[in-house]
Amino acid sequence: MIELRDVAYAYPDTDRYVLDGIDLTVARGEVVGVVGASGVGKTTLAKIIAGFIPNVEGGTLDGSVTVDTVPISSLPLAEAVAQVGLVIQNPFNQISGAKFTVREEIAFGLENTGVPREEMITRVSDVAKLLRIEHLLDRSPYALSGGQMQLVAIASVIVMGTPVLVMDEPTSQLDPGGSRMVFDIISALTDAGTSVLIFEHKVELLREHADRIAVLADGRIVHQDTPRAVLTDDRLESWSVGSTRYTRAARAARDAGLTNPEAALPVSLSDSTDYFTTQRAGR
Amino acid sequence: MSTSHKPVEANKVRNRVFVAIGAVIIIATYLYLVLGQPSEFAEGDFGQASLIAIIGYLLGSVLIAVGTIHRLPTTTIALVPVAIAVNIVVGQISASIGLPIYLDSIGTILVGVLAGPAAGALTGALTNVIWGMTISPIALPFAVTAVVIGVLAGYAGRLGMFRRFYLAPIAGLITGIIAALVSSPIAAFIFGGATGGGNGAIVAAFRAVGNSLLASTTFQGLLSDPLDKVITFTIVVIILFALPSRFRSRFPFVREYNVFGKQSELAAPTRATRSGAASTDTTTSTVGDDSASADNGTTPRG
Amino acid sequence: MTTTLYEDRESVIHRLNPVTKLVAMLSIIIIVFAVQIWWVALGIIVFVVVPAAVVSGTGGRLLSLSLKLLLPILIVLVLLQGLFFPEGTTVLAEFGPARVTVEGLMFALGIGSRIAALVLCSLVLLLTTNPALLMTSLTQKGMSPKMSYVISSTLQIIPAFHTRAQSILLAQQARGLRLKGNPLRRAGALLPLVSPLVLGMFTDVEERSTAMEARGFSSPATHTSFVIVDDPLGQKIARWLIVAIAVTSVVLSLLGVFK
Repeated sequence: MIELRDVAYAYPDTDRYVLDGIDLTVARGEVVGVVGASGVGKTTLAKIIAGFIPNVEGGTLDGSVTVDTVPISSLPLAEAVAQVGLVIQNPFNQISGAKFTVREEIAFGLENTGVPREEMITRVSDVAKLLRIEHLLDRSPYALSGGQMQLVAIASVIVMGTPVLVMDEPTSQLDPGGSRMVFDIISALTDAGTSVLIFEHKVELLREHADRIAVLADGRIVHQDTPRAVLTDDRLESWSVGSTRYTRAARAARDAGLTNPEAALPVSLSDSTDYFTTQRAGR
Repeated sequence: MSTSHKPVEANKVRNRVFVAIGAVIIIATYLYLVLGQPSEFAEGDFGQASLIAIIGYLLGSVLIAVGTIHRLPTTTIALVPVAIAVNIVVGQISASIGLPIYLDSIGTILVGVLAGPAAGALTGALTNVIWGMTISPIALPFAVTAVVIGVLAGYAGRLGMFRRFYLAPIAGLITGIIAALVSSPIAAFIFGGATGGGNGAIVAAFRAVGNSLLASTTFQGLLSDPLDKVITFTIVVIILFALPSRFRSRFPFVREYNVFGKQSELAAPTRATRSGAASTDTTTSTVGDDSASADNGTTPRG
Repeated sequence: MTTTLYEDRESVIHRLNPVTKLVAMLSIIIIVFAVQIWWVALGIIVFVVVPAAVVSGTGGRLLSLSLKLLLPILIVLVLLQGLFFPEGTTVLAEFGPARVTVEGLMFALGIGSRIAALVLCSLVLLLTTNPALLMTSLTQKGMSPKMSYVISSTLQIIPAFHTRAQSILLAQQARGLRLKGNPLRRAGALLPLVSPLVLGMFTDVEERSTAMEARGFSSPATHTSFVIVDDPLGQKIARWLIVAIAVTSVVLSLLGVFK
């Protein structure tokens, strides 16, 4: 479980808080999606939860950040990273470079934390099966496509088996099929009790898989609710967050006076079919 | 299996001892080779000079690399491979476009200035190891020179030679002279003065007028190394001055020794757009902004 | 995708534990520098290095590489020491300031045979040893995982850096950068190449170190190893034996036995 209470943060040697008043909770087994314009502080928030700020990168952090009720900044980094797995945005930088095969690359974190060899072999092959990258295991991590590299990067974090996962745009390099698979895996992990905080702009996937969506703007969580409520909110555009194509189409129809302004906007294909069918029937 | 990290204090002492012994071995090797027994060398028989040059310099470099790597933080460790790649790639391009200077230590000097002498030494040593593994094994015996360059760049940063633009070339000049002195016994006693076509011709000229081999390689080094290091240090200072200061001040070494000079102090950050009143259990933790180096008005990353 | 000289083949030499090969290489180099007799160095080349290269199927590569790396040095060495050796007394020929002396040629032979042994031994190690396996086995012998990380990572990012540098260079040339003129101008022309390279290095490094830390890179736990490199008893004994020979030769050399 992740709990942030009134969190504010300023970088070292700056006098402005980039995050200011973040309240956010991710319960055990929950997926919370965070959306927001680029440059709004998503990466910074991810590093705060993972225990890198302020212990590694410095700066001023106010408020409380707890993972499973333990203040994360009170933990030495080695213990913090055992609690929180962090998938960073650029898979090219997630690959350690220390290893010459994908298999060993995935095992890198397990080696560092002293996992016995037999267990490593099982865990690596399990996670490779999960992400369908078994055919890549003997390749060089640097000889992979962007999408393949991203799957390896995700595998290398999931294999650590942390109770909390923070993922910064984990599907940026993936095609729709790959993105869907990653979200299916996230759902499977949360069923097993993992808490997942995911920064993502593919709102249709969040609509399908997230329990809640939080909107990050002006350094604060300006709104959080169920995916449906957030994605049909009329203020979404003013926070520089895109809505689903279904919502956009329905809103255009509504604003043109074609549909009932009171009707709830759709967020999915089946919603959309219902919405336009009932609207037409209502006429 | 790898060494356990549990006895941290014991390891710290051990690492310091490694670095100290390494430094002593390198200095002793140099002194022996230069002051040793010139009469013996004069007959063209080096005695043990080449053996001592190769063992002393290699052992010293290895001890310093092993002793320094443990105390470097992960940010620095992650910087070293990129710095080595810069050394090698720029060094090769310089050679391929026919520049008469090496330009193969830009990364080493950058790391030395930003992360300190220990990091500079490691970058230097491993540059020559990797150069040896990928291009030519001839680079290996010269690892000690690269170590010395990295260390000197670190101390130049610490002494404030990168606070003013015009001081850096002076640091480069001094580094180049010392680098020439350290590498000349390697060129003389291991390679017999034949480290490359152009260099060989210069050594031959000094030999023709009756100088000893060591004196000739020293003069040859003094003709090329100081110029190379003056240009390299100038390039490095130009790059560093062009970097936003928030990049530079991320390095603890830069903050601790004011490598780029003191800048105006900043007041504690103020929270302007607070949504609610601070709750009672709010804690404030401030880490790493104890330094005076500050930068007004930079936009923090997001 | 690495830049090393390694050639993936199947041979006895390839199968040796990488540490065995490294220890053998270093010991042979030390023996050659300790004994300082030219025919010992040549003997090692003929009876150890060449057979090892032939058995491992890397003879061709070894020949072409050594011609490229060694020949220029050996030619300069012979010209330099053969012609300009003021200490020499047995003069064979004289051309103005240059004198061909027996002592100078013998000196060139001594130094040249040692450099050749050093370069050839290193090349055989590099040609027959998978760098990944070398790092793994050194880590298992107690080398810091940080050292292994730096070396492995550098080997893997050099190709990417090279590509990036070449494309920056091309872009700068397209915008009128001239790589001609006097050396100072050409060095100045490199500045627009180096700056973007270094800036790239700054932006990536922090993310990389965060990702590595997040995977326990500086964990105080005793590291374990995913790959186990086979290290039979015979090779352990062989290593101690060759180290003992190297140490003996150094001691004898310092006692002046080889004079």
